[in-house]
Amino acid sequence: MTAGPTDPAATADVESLDAAERTTLTAVADRLIPEADGMPSAAEVVGDDRLRFVLKARPDLLGPLRAALRPGLGSDVQARLDALGRDEPSSLGALQLVIVAGYYTDGDVRERIGYPGQVALPLRSWEVPAYIDEGLIDAVLARGPVWRDPVTGTRAVVVDAPRTYAERFAAPPEGDSDGHHGT
Amino acid sequence: MATEPADVLIVGAGASGGVVALRLAEAGLSVVCLEQGGWLDRADYPGNKLDWELKARKDWATSPNIRGLAQDYPIVEDDSPVSPLMYNAVGGSTIIFAGAWPRALPSDFRVRSLDGVADDWPIDYFELLPYFYRTDRQFGVSGLPGDPAYPPDAEDAPMPPLPIGSAGLRVARGMTTLGWHWWPEFNSINSVAYDGRRPCVQRSTCQSGCNEGAKASTDLTHWPKAIALGARLVTGARVRRIETDARGLATGATWIDTDGGEHLERARVVVVAANAIGTPRLLLNSSSPAHPDGLANSSGLVGKRLMMHPFANVAGLFEEPLMSWAGQFGDLIESLEFYETDERRGFVRGARWGLAPTGGPINTALPSRAGEQAWGTGHHEHVRTHLGHGANWGLFAEDLPDEANRVTLSTTVTDSSGIPAPEVHYSMADNARRMLDFHIERATESMEAAGAYKIEVDRLMRYSGWHLLGTARMGNDPTTSVLDRWNRAHDVANLYVVDGSCFVTSTGVNPTSTIVSIALRAADHMIETRFEQQVPV
Repeated sequence: MTAGPTDPAATADVESLDAAERTTLTAVADRLIPEADGMPSAAEVVGDDRLRFVLKARPDLLGPLRAALRPGLGSDVQARLDALGRDEPSSLGALQLVIVAGYYTDGDVRERIGYPGQVALPLRSWEVPAYIDEGLIDAVLARGPVWRDPVTGTRAVVVDAPRTYAERFAAPPEGDSDGHHGT
Repeated sequence: MATEPADVLIVGAGASGGVVALRLAEAGLSVVCLEQGGWLDRADYPGNKLDWELKARKDWATSPNIRGLAQDYPIVEDDSPVSPLMYNAVGGSTIIFAGAWPRALPSDFRVRSLDGVADDWPIDYFELLPYFYRTDRQFGVSGLPGDPAYPPDAEDAPMPPLPIGSAGLRVARGMTTLGWHWWPEFNSINSVAYDGRRPCVQRSTCQSGCNEGAKASTDLTHWPKAIALGARLVTGARVRRIETDARGLATGATWIDTDGGEHLERARVVVVAANAIGTPRLLLNSSSPAHPDGLANSSGLVGKRLMMHPFANVAGLFEEPLMSWAGQFGDLIESLEFYETDERRGFVRGARWGLAPTGGPINTALPSRAGEQAWGTGHHEHVRTHLGHGANWGLFAEDLPDEANRVTLSTTVTDSSGIPAPEVHYSMADNARRMLDFHIERATESMEAAGAYKIEVDRLMRYSGWHLLGTARMGNDPTTSVLDRWNRAHDVANLYVVDGSCFVTSTGVNPTSTIVSIALRAADHMIETRFEQQVPV
């Protein structure tokens, strides 16, 4: 029931796939992600370089990938995918992941879809957020407390609760931090 | 030569273990902690690397059964539609938690009195409030003061709020149109430099470890300080059992090192902080002729009343690009509009909504959690319309306690040290099912109000067992609870449990803020009562 960890020392390179497996992988890649809408096909993009990258990151995928590419499943691509989906979903999942990961870690593909990666963006925490400028916070505050008073069981009534954000900032928290509150 | 026993032995170096260790070390107690994982180097975290989405599905998966790392233990979960999620390392699950930091609400502690179900807690919100403030400062919380879903605070969050992004703003406008509560989320993620840690860079890979150290995790926020004060942290130490003496007091723990060697760590007080799966597993594995049903289990409730927050996801798709692969994960905004009971809805209690980023292209291109597949000529259109165009409401439904939902010991599966693995038996109650159905409908309306042209729903996600709660509940009656109101075992005067196991009910919010505040309160109590504390001779 428990999958094993990724072994960094595992040998799982593209050379592990034989010619027949490579041919089948190309055919499946073309079926899953064909050339369309100005985008290249996965068969074109997921070459040795991308496969090597994927299998280096995830050597555990090699076994189920080869299982999904085995000749015994026949030459019809759709029949292969149907059989895997029915009988070996984990092998199908590995096949899909290898193709998708190879495709979407390609620099040209990322540029075409407008995805820069999970890049670092600087925060500007000193700026007033748009939701305050637009009055969205004021609208929430204007409705009053939302929490339920555990004594009465009804929505709480807070004396002098701020109804705008300007009021909230004009009246900073009072008292100490011992849990006393203003209800 | 025998070494002097530690004043306190802590099992688990995660959220609550870190908080207790630091507080006790500050008070001058000798502290030793046994942690089965090790120290991690955040330079190795995959979030800032090209293979992030690949690693996130294996070595950085949230399920220990998928990771299968040496420091993980298997969880038998065949009898549960929800998989427990956790991480084993210094920092525990704070390494991979989202960092969302809502507090439990006042009504959460009085569920029996207010709604006639489950049980009231032996403590209340206002008793915890000073500890919320202290843990907010310790972990470093960013948030906008004044949320009317909570009682007025005497202290603001220590940092200004994180941005809510284009997706958050879109949905906030929709919520405003509906007149529903929303608020920028409180997150234990730095919005500015704080306590020697850098601010968030919006990479949105919080659940694969934070490369910046901006998200609070106790390997950064607590353990270095505790160690500097003298605490001793032993890594690669898997605890087999808690030992007891003839008086029934805990004397320490037997643990296994990574080479299989067995050791005994003696202590005057034992604190278990191993989460609501690991803690009952350890207590049950600590059975002996004196307590054949497990340690601290005269009530029979150790392992029972497991709660995991049934979780659904409502995703809206928008025409405009929202760049929703970026932003804290963490939440952008939250809603507590439907958190409190309204019996006209056909169920009691409620759910919290948290709006989160939507992930990268690999996650987008693969079949969705809802089962949608987009292969062939429609693939590119699917990715074009989904990647960066989505907003996700995550719905956390309150899970009421049920003794049938429980952790037991496997008779067939062990970890790599030969220690019996936990088995999880769990099903979602009808109340929670009706609750999720209602909230999915309302969240769908929210997305419609925000302008979503398509809405996709995932009704009960398997890999959503983030919030592990309730398996050693606190209470005033030793026949109906495992722990007293100070987290001390009724049965064992020098044994404390400080993780989410102690929860009486689940609340409907992410629990870490509440867990660590309860843990800090327990540590204060240990210090205040240390001279009356019974200890083994």
